[in-house]
Amino acid sequence: MGATLRSWLFTTDHKRVGILYLIGSLAAFAIAGVMAMLMRIELTNIGPDITDNPQDYNVWLYFHGAAMILGFQIPALTGFLANYCVPLMIGARDVAFPRLNALSVWLFWAGIVLALATFVIPDPPDVMWTGYPPYATMTWGNTAFYSFTVLLLGFSSILGGVNFLTTVAYMRAPGMGWNQLNVFVWSIVVAFIIQLIFVPVLGTAVTMLLFDKYLGTTFFQPANGGDVLIYQNLFWFYSHPAVYVILLPFLGITYEIVATFARNRVFNYKMVVYGGFGGVLLLAGEVWVHHLYTAGVPDWLRVGQMVTTLLISVPVGLLMIGLVGTLYRGSIEYRTPMLYALGVLFFFLIGGLTGIPNAIASLDLHLQDTYFIPGHFHYVMAVAGTFAIFGAVYYLFPKMTGRMYRERTGKLGFWLTFIGMNLVFMPMMIAGIEGMPRRYYDYAQFPQVEGMQQLMTVGAFVILAGALVTLWNWLHGALRGEPAPANPWGSRSLEWTAAPSPPPPGNFPVPPRLEPGWSPYAYGERA
Amino acid sequence: MPEVRSVLAAVPTGLLVAGAAVAGPGPIADPAVGWDRLWEEMLIDITVIGLVFAAVAAWFMWRYRRRDRAEGDPPRLSATAAVGWAVIPAFVFMADDFYLAAKGWELWKVYRTVPEGALEVRLDSAMWSWNYTYPNGAVTVNELRVPAGRPVLLRMTSRDVVHSHFIPDFRVKEDSMPGRITYLWFYPKEPGEHVVTCAEYCGLLHSRMAGKVIVMAPDAFEAWYRAAGQKAAAEAASGGEEV
Amino acid sequence: MAQQGAELDRELGGRLAAAAHEGEGHAAGEHAHEWETSPWPLTISVGILLALPLAFAFRFVYGQPLLAVIMLGLGTPLIVAGVVGWVREGLGAHELGLSPAAMPWFILAEALIFLTLFASYWVMRLGAPEWPPAGTVDLPRLVPLAMTAILVSSSFTIHAAEARLAEGRHGAFLRWLALTMVLGTVFVLLSAFEWRELIHEGFTPATNAYSTAFFSITGFHAAHVIVGLGAFVALLLPALRGRVSEPFVKSASMYWHFVDVVWLFVVSQVYFW
Ligand code: HEA
Ligand code: HEA
Ligand code: CUA
Ligand SMILES: [Cu+2]
Repeated sequence: MGATLRSWLFTTDHKRVGILYLIGSLAAFAIAGVMAMLMRIELTNIGPDITDNPQDYNVWLYFHGAAMILGFQIPALTGFLANYCVPLMIGARDVAFPRLNALSVWLFWAGIVLALATFVIPDPPDVMWTGYPPYATMTWGNTAFYSFTVLLLGFSSILGGVNFLTTVAYMRAPGMGWNQLNVFVWSIVVAFIIQLIFVPVLGTAVTMLLFDKYLGTTFFQPANGGDVLIYQNLFWFYSHPAVYVILLPFLGITYEIVATFARNRVFNYKMVVYGGFGGVLLLAGEVWVHHLYTAGVPDWLRVGQMVTTLLISVPVGLLMIGLVGTLYRGSIEYRTPMLYALGVLFFFLIGGLTGIPNAIASLDLHLQDTYFIPGHFHYVMAVAGTFAIFGAVYYLFPKMTGRMYRERTGKLGFWLTFIGMNLVFMPMMIAGIEGMPRRYYDYAQFPQVEGMQQLMTVGAFVILAGALVTLWNWLHGALRGEPAPANPWGSRSLEWTAAPSPPPPGNFPVPPRLEPGWSPYAYGERA
Repeated sequence: MPEVRSVLAAVPTGLLVAGAAVAGPGPIADPAVGWDRLWEEMLIDITVIGLVFAAVAAWFMWRYRRRDRAEGDPPRLSATAAVGWAVIPAFVFMADDFYLAAKGWELWKVYRTVPEGALEVRLDSAMWSWNYTYPNGAVTVNELRVPAGRPVLLRMTSRDVVHSHFIPDFRVKEDSMPGRITYLWFYPKEPGEHVVTCAEYCGLLHSRMAGKVIVMAPDAFEAWYRAAGQKAAAEAASGGEEV
Repeated sequence: MAQQGAELDRELGGRLAAAAHEGEGHAAGEHAHEWETSPWPLTISVGILLALPLAFAFRFVYGQPLLAVIMLGLGTPLIVAGVVGWVREGLGAHELGLSPAAMPWFILAEALIFLTLFASYWVMRLGAPEWPPAGTVDLPRLVPLAMTAILVSSSFTIHAAEARLAEGRHGAFLRWLALTMVLGTVFVLLSAFEWRELIHEGFTPATNAYSTAFFSITGFHAAHVIVGLGAFVALLLPALRGRVSEPFVKSASMYWHFVDVVWLFVVSQVYFW
């Protein structure tokens, strides 16, 4: 036992590092989800429900937002999935820098530990995941932990980026060309390029926050020559591209699942990769001002970025066409991962399209910072992203554990979360149109949304039930499930065809050799 | 200090639509009405797009469920078809984007162009209240009294952190922050009361940072305004004596 | 479908079994059958957690300097031990081979840190009613010039070291490397000296927007020089015992050139504009 614990804590193997990422990010999800439950219960009725101190609510919300984005989704997608899949998909025995990889996962864990400290320290941070000054530099809350959590996770991500870009560039199986990469591998490449360019900006911004609050510098102090808008611009200059760091890998893995279960080639691969991913990469850095439509930045910036923001629908639309097109003339089998993947398609459609009104600057003047915004991003990120991650865990489950989960339980969990998510986030958007602002502990000014708030709370409990069913299914499957074959889905991708379940150290008993014209999606051509 | 002006006027307009409803002499364009109209149009637009995608996907999901064949047999796209499938949709989406952008821009100008003769009130926000100062020196807290039928312009700044002055009924919101002056205007037409609330997180009592816009009949407002102005002047005078 | 899966599986199973046979001979060495491990990444992470966030928070948030010192005292040795152990392990391993390919990505990220700081500086400066703002003292002109000369020459010396290594002249390599380190150290000392003078004259990070930008930018830069020096130490110690990794030298020198180039921006933007 001691030896095995050590072999996990000291591991440099990409699969184990990936699983360590998975455990950490699911822990973040569960705890941030519990915070969401507390918030939901508190919001059920007007007036105090479970706490009469708004500060409690603010801390829950801070933790919920920060942990869900920085602790759950980004690490689950660019940590767990990238680590587990990329070397297997490109036929490599590990990543380029295994030790750096281990450092990156443990820095991530350090960030999680620091975030969890929120619940034990006096004056926990209460600055929301956006940490706007001057509030963040005036509060009694411990803004330092906010900054350092971001810094640790950011540094971890930069190491990951350096590592994976090198891995994909230099460690592909002999004969694997760039146009033969899995769509998911491409999505990771683009996501990490975005991370490498933009994370340092965020890291510097929160460092400046730290200096301002504790060392007396004046970056964001107007009274002494600073400007509060510097921070907002820097923050969104990172945090908008960050949503594509979430979006691209989750669409990437959705493509893998859909191609596998439709036993079909990815529709118009080059359009997806170069048009879709490439287009998003090009536009990602030119739209951040759409978070500042009401912040008094110059009008030409606001209107200019309205246009660039709307244009993002072009590459993303191509990605949607590719996804729907992959169903065309397929042979679709509806197993749990596929249900989640199709869920991603529908929820992302709703979430993406509700980004359009926000993008129109004049419409956003009413919508900004109302519940419409959480409605939009929960659909696109909390629902579609989480479904993609859950689907991916189911999809890789046989590979990771060597065992099968239970299909019926998986589908039950899917339908519960599916229904629950709509019950929470549909009313949320309607409440937003009614004018209900975000980050409200209480909403006495808006009695008309009380009914919707109650519906949302009910929905949250349905999600909780679904999540517990899912968790049980995973735990049960990992410990007691039926043994899984190497390729239970009949996929053509290397991780299934060339490696046993679970793959041994070094991944491939025989280094994969690719025939000319090999493709991870060569369906329908053998028979 | 930045002046109130429409920077947009400097931007070449020919690129998109020209015939925009710029406020000027004649009837005043009301942003709230424009908002509701554009909202509906936009809603139809995205609903149609969403339904098309969803319907096609649902049809494929049904039509190509696994039956006889074990594997899909997708058509091989010719080079022309592949490019076409990228370029044509891209242009369709772009057309819609530019249409929406043009509409949005038109309304934007209404929002940012203050009509002549607006009542100008200064707003200082502070944790956690709204403080209004009228041209004649009258001061109110959390109560913005305005006459019906006259546009109202708020010039805003903050004494501490960032707040956002939000009047849902008039569909307007703009942040107020230390070190900068921002503005918004709205057009109250009928007497009545409307919620004002804070839309930018500002700490403990963020959700309680609420007030009212009280729209009064013009003569009632005039009476109140004069009285409040005199009271403020008297207070200033007595305050001056004390010093 | 289940059938299909089973079929593929059998096929794969067969191939795997065949491979295992055939692999006994040559593939065994190539593919480790043990999970590879290293204790150092975890060690470093724990060290960073203690020495940065916790020490900082105890000192500046909770006013507990003693606890802060304890955290530093625990964290720093862990980091140092981690780096030493890592370098020992890493020098022999294949992974260093790719490090010159990875370094440009890292440098890209680093460059954006400085871009962010400069951008904030420009915004404050161009938006200010007067510049330099009240409270600014006269910045020295000579010291930064000297520092520039020193840092630029250190770029040449590290290049020379690299060239000697390529020629296989180990002794000359060591001498050039050591000279580079001396130059770097002098640079840091000059910077520290200058900071002390300025703070003495009352120009502290809290003085005004200029001092904020000045101390942040020069401080970030000096921190990078120190990291570069750290990398050189990690190069030098094993090299003294004859163990050198050429890719490692190449990456470290690339990083050093980058730090040098950034300095040119620092001088021109912060001192002479
Ligand atoms: C994964 C995360 C994710 C993703 C992918 C997106 C995608 C998009 N987001 Fe969203 N967004 C967030 C996460 C995300 N967002 C978060 C977290 C916030 C709030 C942060 C905070 O304040 O706390 C936010 C806030 C936010 C705002 C700020 C609102 C405000 O605060 O006032 C805006 C404004 O423009 C916006 C717009 C968009 C747009 C236009 C897209 C586009 O990329 C969507 C593109 C997709 C489609 C359009 C659908 C598919 C395309 C087609 C079917 C083609 C045809 C369509 C057309 C021609 C229209 N988002
Ligand atoms: C990916 C991101 C993500 C996810 C998944 C979620 C998930 C949820 N969110 Fe969250 N949310 C955000 C990101 C996310 N959110 C962000 C960024 C904000 C803005 C923060 C800010 O304003 O600064 C926000 C804000 C936000 C608000 C707005 C509060 C306000 O403005 O006042 C609300 C209100 O209802 C809410 C609710 C929920 C609910 C009910 C869920 C549910 O879906 C949660 C369901 C999950 C659980 C119930 C977990 C419990 C499960 C287990 C314990 C066992 C299962 C475990 C495993 C399967 C591993 N969220
Ligand atoms: Cu003031 Cu929120
Ligand atoms: Cu955005």
